[in-house]
Parts: sequence; structure tokens; C-alpha cells
Amino acid sequence: MLFIPNFGGLFQVAILLVNAIAVLSEDRFLARIGWSNVPTDPGFGGIQETTSVKARTINLITSVRTLMRIPLIFINTVVIIYELVLG
Amino acid sequence: MHRSAYNNPPPAHSPPLHHPVPQHVSTVPQLRSPPPPVPQSQQQSPNSYGYPQQGGGQQAGSGYAHAPFGGFMNDPTAQMGFQMGKTAVAAGQEYIDQNLNRYLNVSALKHYFNVSNSYVASKLFLVFFPWRHRPWSRQQRLSPNGQDGYFLPPREDINSPDMYIPVMAFVTYILLSTLLAGLRGAFHPELLGLTATTAFAVVIFEILGLKLGTYLLSISNESQLLDLVAYSGYKFVGIIVTLVVAETINAGQGTGGLVGWCIFLYAFNANAFFLLRSLKYVLLPDTSPNTASGASYTIARSQRNRRTQFLFFYSYIVQFAFMWILTRQEASPTVAGKAKAA
Repeated sequence: MLFIPNFGGLFQVAILLVNAIAVLSEDRFLARIGWSNVPTDPGFGGIQETTSVKARTINLITSVRTLMRIPLIFINTVVIIYELVLG
Repeated sequence: MHRSAYNNPPPAHSPPLHHPVPQHVSTVPQLRSPPPPVPQSQQQSPNSYGYPQQGGGQQAGSGYAHAPFGGFMNDPTAQMGFQMGKTAVAAGQEYIDQNLNRYLNVSALKHYFNVSNSYVASKLFLVFFPWRHRPWSRQQRLSPNGQDGYFLPPREDINSPDMYIPVMAFVTYILLSTLLAGLRGAFHPELLGLTATTAFAVVIFEILGLKLGTYLLSISNESQLLDLVAYSGYKFVGIIVTLVVAETINAGQGTGGLVGWCIFLYAFNANAFFLLRSLKYVLLPDTSPNTASGASYTIARSQRNRRTQFLFFYSYIVQFAFMWILTRQEASPTVAGKAKAA
């Protein structure tokens, strides 16, 4: 068949990736490479360009960080306790 | 004492259709389960039916089997209790309907299962041989107020995606895969759940990837999620054919080898072309004048190219990966051992 797909491993990979997205530093890293979410410049007066791929990925990263901060605390605690108890 | 309505032994043909004349009203309440709460007809029936004393459960002759309450239902408090029970069941039914409609759009699901035999046959042929099919767009029909058009159901439009074929193909794939495992002696009952979970996970991953792609490329998706699930389920048809043909020709040595790869590549190409043509109208919004949303924004050339690339990537590369994952089978240990020993 599929030689027993490892769903636990898949879950661990997913949690690792989300953690990696969450710990990126906003001002030290993302602003340096220009991926920070700039608010609309009021002096600009125009439409903020949100339709390019890069703008949408930045938006996605920012929203993942905002949303998953608190659930990640709980999930990480659970995984840590699981790893401590069950090795 | 009373007329016996049946001269035949129990598993026989239909007894006469007229209601038997009650000759003897039973005073002992026969404890049968009450009929399902039929609102109108229940009012007239309970007091006036005795039940002919047959030996056992031959109630087929009495037409509609009204419960033999006999003297039990004459009691007004019992009648009131029965009424309350009926109201409670109706209220519960309504509660379930309301809440279920909030989580699961039942009417939308019904649209997807509105198929006919000819539709299923032609759609299966289309999944296998999509190269000569000419119009791929789904047909619309405007509702009477002329504003919102809705798509024709699969019964009337060959290009409309349905959920019948994907669901059936999914279940058939699970059973077939487990059957093949059993034929080579590697069956254990968890294999069913394992295959189901794997196939389910493949579909979910695919839909997630597709949704991510549509978000990143800002493709405004007008069609529903179930359409995408349906399109994703059509590859199970090709997978089933690959498994059947490869395993019969290979005599159980897995789906590798020349024949297996040939049939797999053909099924993959047919499925990919089918998806390419069908999803063109979903992922690449056309500039037709009668779009109901009226959003006629100009799409940049580069963005259009990117969307085409994404569609191609999804139809070919992603489907290849997933179809390959789902058609992997091990070689049978006994057949391989025999071939080695010979």
C-alpha cells in the first residue's frame, strides 16, 4: 500500500513549519528583506497594491502569525509534555 | 369464527387487497410498535380497527398496517399522550433540520447527486477519453427574475461536476485496494481504515493546495468548494482502472512493470487533460460579457500567464504525484517467491 503513511510525523512537520513562521522577527528580519506588512501611507492617497503574489504571501504570513500565536502556545505545551512523558 | 383471509403458506403471493372485516375485536392489546407518526391519517384510524387474529405476523394483507390498539386508544389521556409524543417528534425533526442545514448544505448536496444513468456512462467515458469533447463550459440557466443564473444539474449538463462518481470511485478504490491486499495475503482489518485515511488525506491536501494557489494568485473563485472536491475525486476512476488492469496482467506482482506504467500514464494523461479543460473555466476567469458579478477588471498579461502556469502545474504535476501515491502496491510475496524458485 503506502507503507503506512506516518501521520504523526506529518503532524510534527506541520507544527514545526508553523512554529518557524511564528518566530520570525518582525522588525529584525522581515523589515530587512522588505517583507513586513506596511500600513497604508496616508499621504499616498492611492490604493494599496494587494493583488501581487508577494503582497498576498506577506499578508498570509502576517495573518498566520497573528492567528496562531496563542493556539501554538497550547499545542507546543501539549507536544512537550507528550515528548517528556512518552519519550 | 372469523374468516381466514389466507389460504397460502407465509412466503406466498399477495393476499386479497380489501381490508378484512373485523369479526372479533380484541380486548387484549397486542403489543405491536405504533406506526410512524402520519399526521393526517392517524386521527381517524386508532379507534376503529380491530385486528384479525392471524397466527403470527401476517399483516401484509391488511393493506396499511394500523396498530391494533383495540381498547387501549379509547382512553383520552392516552390519546393526548400520543399527540404530545407526535408533537415532540415533529419538533425534534425540525430542530435537527435547522441545525443540519447550518453545517451541511443539504440542498447543494442534492444538486450534486442529481444524476442519471446516461450521465454517469458518458461522464466515465469522458474521464477516459477527453480529447475529442468539444464544448467544456457549464451551461447556465437564468432564474426567472433574470438576475442570478444557476448551473444546470448534472442530469442535464455533461460538463457539470457531480459527487456521485467521485464518492463511488473513492469507496471502490478502498475496497479494491483492500481486495488486492487480501489476494496477496497481506490483509488485516486496519488496512481498510488506513487506505481510507490516506485517500482522504490526499484529497484534503489537494484542496488545500488549490485553495492556497487561488489565494496567492488572487483568483476569485465563484464555484463552490464541492466542485473542487468533485474534480479532485475524478482521478479515482483512473486509479481504479490502473489497479485492475495492472494487477490482472501482472498476476499480482504490483503495479510496476511495463504494462502498469503504460496504463498509469494513459490514465494520468486523460485525467490531467480532463482537469485542464474543466478547470479552465474555474481558475481562469474568462472575459465573457454575461458574468453576473460584473467585475470586469483587467487582468495583467503576466498574471494571466501565471494563472495558466498554475493550472498546468495543478493538472499535471500535482495529479501525477497523487495518482502515483495512490496506485502504489506491493508485489505479492508468494508469487514472487514462486517465480524465484522456478
